[in-house]
Amino acid sequence: MLARGRIRPGFRLVFWREVGWLRRRPFLLALATIVPLAQMVFLAAIFSAGLATRLPIGVLDLDSSDLSRTIIRMVDATPDSAVAVRVGDLAEGRSLILSGKIHGLLMLPQYLQRDVFAGRRPEVVFFYNTQTLTTGNLTVRGVNAAVPTAAAGIRLSLRSAQGQPLDFAEADLQPIPVQTNALFNPTLNYVYFLLTALIPSVLQVIMVTTSAYSVGLDVETPHRLRILRSLGGGLWPAMAGKILPYTILFMLVLGLSDTLLFRVLELPLRGHPWLLIIAGLLFVLSCQLLGALLALLLKPTLTAVSISTLVTAPAFGFMGIGFPRLGMNAFAYGWGELLPGTWYLTARIDQTIRGTPVDLSWKPLLMLATFAIGLAGLAAWRLVSMRSSARPIDARSVPGPLAEVPS
Amino acid sequence: MSGILMVFRAEIHRIFTVKPAFSVLILGAAFYALFYPQPYLNEALRNVPIAVVDRDGTQSSRDFTRLVDATPDVAVTELMPDVASAEREVYARRVDGILVIPQYFERDLLHGRPSPVALYADASYFLIYQRVSGAVAAVARTLGAEIETARLIAIGVDPAIAAAAPDPMPLTAVPIFNPEAGYATYVLPAAFVLILQQMLLMGVGLLGTLPGADPADGGTRGLTPAPIIAGKLLAYLALEAVILPIYLIVLPYLYGLPRLGETLPILIFAVPFVLAVAGLGFVVAGIFRRPIRVALILAALGLPLFMVAGFSWPSEAIPPAIRMVSYLVPSTLAITGFVKLSQLGAPLAAANSELLTLCALAVFYNLIALLLMARKTRAIDPTVSETALIGTGHSTQ
Repeated sequence: MLARGRIRPGFRLVFWREVGWLRRRPFLLALATIVPLAQMVFLAAIFSAGLATRLPIGVLDLDSSDLSRTIIRMVDATPDSAVAVRVGDLAEGRSLILSGKIHGLLMLPQYLQRDVFAGRRPEVVFFYNTQTLTTGNLTVRGVNAAVPTAAAGIRLSLRSAQGQPLDFAEADLQPIPVQTNALFNPTLNYVYFLLTALIPSVLQVIMVTTSAYSVGLDVETPHRLRILRSLGGGLWPAMAGKILPYTILFMLVLGLSDTLLFRVLELPLRGHPWLLIIAGLLFVLSCQLLGALLALLLKPTLTAVSISTLVTAPAFGFMGIGFPRLGMNAFAYGWGELLPGTWYLTARIDQTIRGTPVDLSWKPLLMLATFAIGLAGLAAWRLVSMRSSARPIDARSVPGPLAEVPS
Repeated sequence: MSGILMVFRAEIHRIFTVKPAFSVLILGAAFYALFYPQPYLNEALRNVPIAVVDRDGTQSSRDFTRLVDATPDVAVTELMPDVASAEREVYARRVDGILVIPQYFERDLLHGRPSPVALYADASYFLIYQRVSGAVAAVARTLGAEIETARLIAIGVDPAIAAAAPDPMPLTAVPIFNPEAGYATYVLPAAFVLILQQMLLMGVGLLGTLPGADPADGGTRGLTPAPIIAGKLLAYLALEAVILPIYLIVLPYLYGLPRLGETLPILIFAVPFVLAVAGLGFVVAGIFRRPIRVALILAALGLPLFMVAGFSWPSEAIPPAIRMVSYLVPSTLAITGFVKLSQLGAPLAAANSELLTLCALAVFYNLIALLLMARKTRAIDPTVSETALIGTGHSTQ
C-alpha cells in the first residue's frame, strides 16, 4: 500500500477503495451482478414456451346431433382450447374444474339441432374458471371463436333456403365487420411485454437493497463515514466515488440483459437506443440514491435493507405490469408515480415496443432526472446534517484513512 | 417435552422482542395487508379512453360512436380529424385505441353492402386490448344484428325467424368463481399466500441468524437439535394460527373478494404449508448465516417466485423442467391448494396431491435443518467449553 503522505484525497481514491471492497466481498459483488442476471435468465426461461395453447376443457353433449358434434370439433380445432374429456353430467364437470384438470365446461343442450333450425335460439353455455383469469380468458377466446363460426353455417343455409345467392348472403352475415389491428404487438405476444417490463422491477429491487447495504457498511460505524469524506476530499467527490462502481456494474448488467433481449431473443427495438440508455442511466442512479438515502436515514443497515425491500418488492404491481395503471385507484396511481421504476418502464416501453417519436418521449426522462437530482440533494443534505450533529462530540479527531478494518 | 416447551416459549418471546423479526413478522404483515392490494382493488378496467376518427360524419357514424361510448368498457374521449393526429394521441398515452369510421359508412349500410370499420388498439397490455376490441366488436355485432333482421324481413323472411337469424345459437359464457372476472379476485388470494411465505421465510431466517438463535446460548443446555426444531416450529405454528387466517379468510372478506371455501380445510392445509416454509427458513438461515444476507437474498427471490407460482403466468405455459424445480418452493403448490380450497370451495380431497407434497416438503426441509444444526453443534462443541456455555447461560438470565 501507498504511504500516507502520497495519498491525494479525491474521487479516484474513493472509487478504487470501493472497487477493493467489492473484490473482498464476493457476496455483495454476486448480489449486484450474478443474482440479477440469473433472475433474468430464469424469467426468460419461464416465458420461453410462449403463451399456453390447447388448454383442456370438458364437454357435456346432451344433444349428440350432427350440429353438436360439429361444434365440438370446431372448439377442439381452435388453437386456444382442446376438448379433453366428455362428461356425463354437470356434477362431474364441476369436480373436474375443481381439481384443475379442465378450465371450462361447454354445455350443448338437448334438442340443440332441432331448436336451432326451428328458430328457437337454444343457448349454448360455456362455464369457465376465471379464478385463474389468464387461462380463463384464453379458453373463452377459443370457444368464442368456434361457436359463432358454427352458427355462421346455419345462418347461411337459412338464407340460401330463402333463395338468396350465396355470395350475397355471405356479405350479409356481418353488416359491420370490425378490422382490428393490434398496435405495437401485431402477433399478440405478451412475452415481449413481460420480459421488457420485468427488467426494471427485478433491477429496482436489487439496486435499492444493494445500495442500502453498501452505503450501510459506511454509515453503521461513524468513523468510516468521516474516513470516506476525507478520502474524497469533500462531500460530492466522496459520494460520486462511493456510488460510481455500482453504477458501472448495474449498467453492465442492464446492458447484458438488454443485449440478450434484443439480439438473442430478438425483441423489437423500435425507438432510439440512446434514449433508452440515458433513461437506464438515470434509473440506475435514482435507485442507487434511493437506497443510499434509506441507509442514511435508517439504522441499523438491516432495517434499511428491510424497508428497501418493503418499498421495492410490491412495486411490480404499482408499476402496472400485470394490471394497467389506468385502472388503479388514486392512491395506487400516485404511489406508482413516486417509483423510479414506473418512469423507466414508461421510457422503456416507449423506446422498445412502441417506437414513440422523440418529441413525445421526454416526460419519463425528465421525471427520472428529477428523481436522481432530488435524491442526490436529499442524501447530501442528510450527510451534512449527520456531520454537523456529530461534530460537537469529537471535532478534533483526524481520520486515518488506512486504519479501517475490513469486516 | 419440557425442553420443547421451553424452546417454544423462548421463540415466541423472541418473535416479539427481536426487533427485525418483529418488524417483518408482525409489522410487515400489517403493512402488506393494507398496502399490497391497492393497485388491484378496482377489479376491472372501465372507460378505457379511445379516439374516434369519423370520416363519414353521418347520423349512422355518430350513432355508432355514441353506442361505443355508452359501453362501460371504453370511453370516446377525443374526436380526431385524421389517423395521423390520432396516432400522436396514442403515442402521448392519452388514448389507448383509435376507431376509424371510413367515408361512405352509412351509404354502404343503406345499400346492403358490408360496411367495415377499423380499430387500432394498444396491444402491449392484454387487458386493454381485450377491453377495447371486445367493446367495439360487441357494438358492431348488436348494430349489425338489427340491420340483418331488417334486411331479412325485407326479402320476405318471417319476422320471428328473422329476429332469430342473426344469432341462431347464442353463446352464453358464464365466468365461475370470479363472476366479475376481476383482477383483485384473481391475483390477491394467490399473492396473499406468497406474501405469507416470504414473510415467514424472512422471519425464520432472521430469527435463525440473529443473536440468541441457538437456545443453548440461552441457558437450556443439553437439548438435542430435534426438540429445538420442534419447539421453534410450534412457535411459528402458533404465530401463523393468528396471521394466516387473517390473510386467507378475514382480508378476502374485508376486500369483498368472492369466496366459497370453508374454514376448516384451509386450516388443515395450512399446517404442512407453515411447517414446510419454516423448514425452508431454517435451511436459508443455515446457508446464509448472517441476517443481512438472508434479507438481501430473500428480497431478490420474491419476483421470480411470484412469476413461477403459476397464476400471473399460467402454469400450463411454464416449461416442465422449471415447473418441477418450482415445486421445491412451498408457495407453488400451496397457492394451487389454497386457491382450490378457499376460492373454488373444493373439498380437501381435491387438494390431496398438493397436501401430500407439502407434507413431504415439510419433512424434507426440517430434516435438512436438523442435519445442519447437528453438524453445527458438533463443530462448536470442541471449541467451547462447558463452563463457558453455562456461564453465558447464567449471565443472560
